[in-house]
Amino acid sequence: MEISNQQRNIVVIGGGPAGIEASRALDAMGYTVFLVERENRLGGHLGRWDRLFPYGTPAEDVLSQLTASMGRIKWFTSTEVTQVNKLERGYNVILSNGLSVLADALLLTTGFTLFNASKKEEYGYGIYDRVITNADLEDYFSGIPVPAVDNPRRIGFVHCVGSRDEKVGNRYCSKVCCATAVKQACEIKEKFPDAVVYCFYMDLRMFGRGYEDMYLEAQKKYGVIFVRGRVSEVSEDKDGHLFVKAEDTLSGKPLRVTLDLLVLMAGMSHNRAVDPIARTLALSTMEDGFLKPKDSLTAAQASYCTGVFYAGACTGPKTLPETMAEAKAAATSIHEYLQEQ
Amino acid sequence: MGKIYERLMSDVRLQEGLKACINCGTCTAVCPAAEFYRYNPKNIVNIVQTQDDEEIIKLLKSDTIWYCGECMSCVTRCPRTNAPGQVIIALRTLSVELGYFVESEKGRQQYALAKVLCGNVLNYGYCVHPETFKYASHPEYGTVGKWIEDHLQDVYDRVGANYGKSGPGPLRKIARESLDDLQKIFDVTGGSARVEKIKDLSRKKAQEMGLSEEEYFNEVFNETHGEHLNQQNQ
Amino acid sequence: MNYEGKKKIWSEFQKEIPDDKYFYARSCIRQNFNPGAEQAFLDIVRNRFGKDFYEDPLHTTCGGIAYHSDTTPEETSMTIIARQFSLMNQAGYRNFVVSCVTSFGLHSEILQTWEEHPEIEQKIHELLWKACKREFVKPDFLMHSSDMMYHYRFLISEQAKYPLINVHTGEPLKVVEHIGCHYSKIFPSKSVGGAEYPRVLAGLVEALGGSVVDYPERRHCCGFGFRQYLVKANRGYSLTNTYKKFESMEPFHPDLIITNCPGCNYFLDRWQYVIAETTGKTYGDTPGYGIPVLSSEEVAALVMGYDPWDLGLQMHQVAVEPLLDKMGVKYDKSRKYKGLGGKDLGVPASPANIRIF
Repeated sequence: MEISNQQRNIVVIGGGPAGIEASRALDAMGYTVFLVERENRLGGHLGRWDRLFPYGTPAEDVLSQLTASMGRIKWFTSTEVTQVNKLERGYNVILSNGLSVLADALLLTTGFTLFNASKKEEYGYGIYDRVITNADLEDYFSGIPVPAVDNPRRIGFVHCVGSRDEKVGNRYCSKVCCATAVKQACEIKEKFPDAVVYCFYMDLRMFGRGYEDMYLEAQKKYGVIFVRGRVSEVSEDKDGHLFVKAEDTLSGKPLRVTLDLLVLMAGMSHNRAVDPIARTLALSTMEDGFLKPKDSLTAAQASYCTGVFYAGACTGPKTLPETMAEAKAAATSIHEYLQEQ
Repeated sequence: MGKIYERLMSDVRLQEGLKACINCGTCTAVCPAAEFYRYNPKNIVNIVQTQDDEEIIKLLKSDTIWYCGECMSCVTRCPRTNAPGQVIIALRTLSVELGYFVESEKGRQQYALAKVLCGNVLNYGYCVHPETFKYASHPEYGTVGKWIEDHLQDVYDRVGANYGKSGPGPLRKIARESLDDLQKIFDVTGGSARVEKIKDLSRKKAQEMGLSEEEYFNEVFNETHGEHLNQQNQ
Repeated sequence: MNYEGKKKIWSEFQKEIPDDKYFYARSCIRQNFNPGAEQAFLDIVRNRFGKDFYEDPLHTTCGGIAYHSDTTPEETSMTIIARQFSLMNQAGYRNFVVSCVTSFGLHSEILQTWEEHPEIEQKIHELLWKACKREFVKPDFLMHSSDMMYHYRFLISEQAKYPLINVHTGEPLKVVEHIGCHYSKIFPSKSVGGAEYPRVLAGLVEALGGSVVDYPERRHCCGFGFRQYLVKANRGYSLTNTYKKFESMEPFHPDLIITNCPGCNYFLDRWQYVIAETTGKTYGDTPGYGIPVLSSEEVAALVMGYDPWDLGLQMHQVAVEPLLDKMGVKYDKSRKYKGLGGKDLGVPASPANIRIF
């Protein structure tokens, strides 16, 4: 007997851009999709961001476009997966709202956690009042009051906070921070045109279409000063200004600057909320905690576990367009898998 | 990969202290030596990483490797968990082993250091001892230091030290038995050989420079000739 | 500055410190310059707190300064330290406490190296046997003496006669804490509080009523630099780095600098004198006086009511009297430079720009 797509249940865990986009694609194919989000709204980190690189698109526009037509998707916010049981065929997923779903496939779109910047103790996040993160600055751009941003005259951006750093156990590059720093440096210059803005970087990874233009504009139009050197330590003077030590590695000289505001480009850490599911289903993870796909080149959406798929930053740092593409690819992979069943 | 580099890499401190450098400058940014001397720990690590014997030998013969203060502030911060300060110790060790240290002004100071410090350890059982730590060569010891020196036994007695006597307590006379142990430890661990090597090569260098041993000691201990300081401190 | 943020970091760097039964190893520098600090330490822990701290007269220097001046191979220091462990074993102790920070760092490093390279430890067993016919077992716990002062801080504060409070204003004294580099910069996890916001002295200061000053160059090295001080031609390095710290702390008007490293204590004290004599500048809030620099042991003893001259505070170049007056410590000016039984030892010459009493 032929089973219709509508009789196939797919549970998508994580309601960020990957989860929404994949759910829409699967819904369009006629599958019954359950999208589960533990926060009280869909959108994930996108919902906390003001504008997106490289063209300054409002994140809100992207999000409303994504959620404009949710079709027949059964989506739940403020809902968590409390239990996953592997059955002979498929999975039984129990949700915190009491719903129990017999799923033919699972898609994990659990994304990332913003690196906890206070772990880089020498930068003083959570200790020195004028040290904030990229996410805090997005809050400020969105109109949420951030007291640290008080008419700053000298501003620094620190790249690679919690990325490319064995001291915190994150050896990888978080991919989006360079472009975010350049974007935010330009935006803050828009707000405070007279401010001096430094970007402290190790390597500028402006790999995407339009990123190099953004970098050029930051230098030419906004006069952002790029210093090739990692900030070594931050301290506070008597008036609460920040005293920052780095090396300008291109001139080979120690550099000391006093700043009014320091923005830490916190990178992506693996989302610990996925760990219990990973344990239950014996999913492979990498040493940094991100989920390990079956083959990072040819089967990046597949896991080692039959019927479980991945999309987005749950397998490692991704940009938004990469996440969106993976979401589509995951939908296709799931479709192929279900057609073979 | 050269022979000198291989020899350097056989030092466990270098194996532990140098994986691969990302050239970020975190070490130089907090380095007290970089604030004072023409010194950049990142560049040292870079040269070692080239694995180029010729460059490494240049380094071993230079003043540069002797600028570090071994405070290890760099160790705390390196995002690659390298330890430039440990790399320096390995380089200095090799510079002495290969006899290159006498080629630089700062390297030649090893003579004074070995003579005084190893002398203190083996003769007294202390790294620093009032018999050899004198106001005359340490004027920063201050007027109080001078006063202590002038009334050594009385001052130490007053504050409860046990200067020069047997039994426990600060500055007690280290028993013959313990000093003999230290000498034997120096002998079996290569400590004595290292000191002798430094002294031998320094004597030769002194001759080459036309100085008596005493003059050579005073020269390396007191004098500074080359351009060592960075611009800020000139 | 957000204190709660620091507390969060401190909670991640807790160190297990046994309460009692230690083998004590002295510091070369401290014995020369501030021997009273070690005597006060032993008196406090033994006679005030009733703890067992054993000193074997046969122990020696660990050779740390010679090692960090690159005059001896690491095997030499490893074997000397193995001999100290052997003395500890012989006396029936398992916990090792060192008075010196260079030594603490070297002990930590050696134990770590042996952990990662057991073949090196094996070699040291053989070398020690060859040299001294001794065997050794590594200690269960390694402490610095400041760890102990931190560990006993509430016992100290229970017996506080003169807390770190300005008796004239009722305000807490402003205290700069300076941590020796080799205490936590090499192995943050072996310390109380880590390398960035070390807790070890801050916790003691707070328990004794003082408040800690967080100034920009707080983490900077005192400038010892081993060869950079020991060789006269290099001393500009040492002085320049100390000067940097004083210029940075000056706007905070500290009443006291507390140290855990005997070397730092000496340099922060003596270079103030040199700065004063060469530039005329003094950093104390009383004109013509410096900022007193005391070790954690000396601070604890002073707070507990030890006589400052029994404690040996006259061996510091920077006068401690302004601090004693602020704390309300009773002392006899005329006894400062006297020997045992009031023996007249004269007085040190008065420097041109910085007062010594």
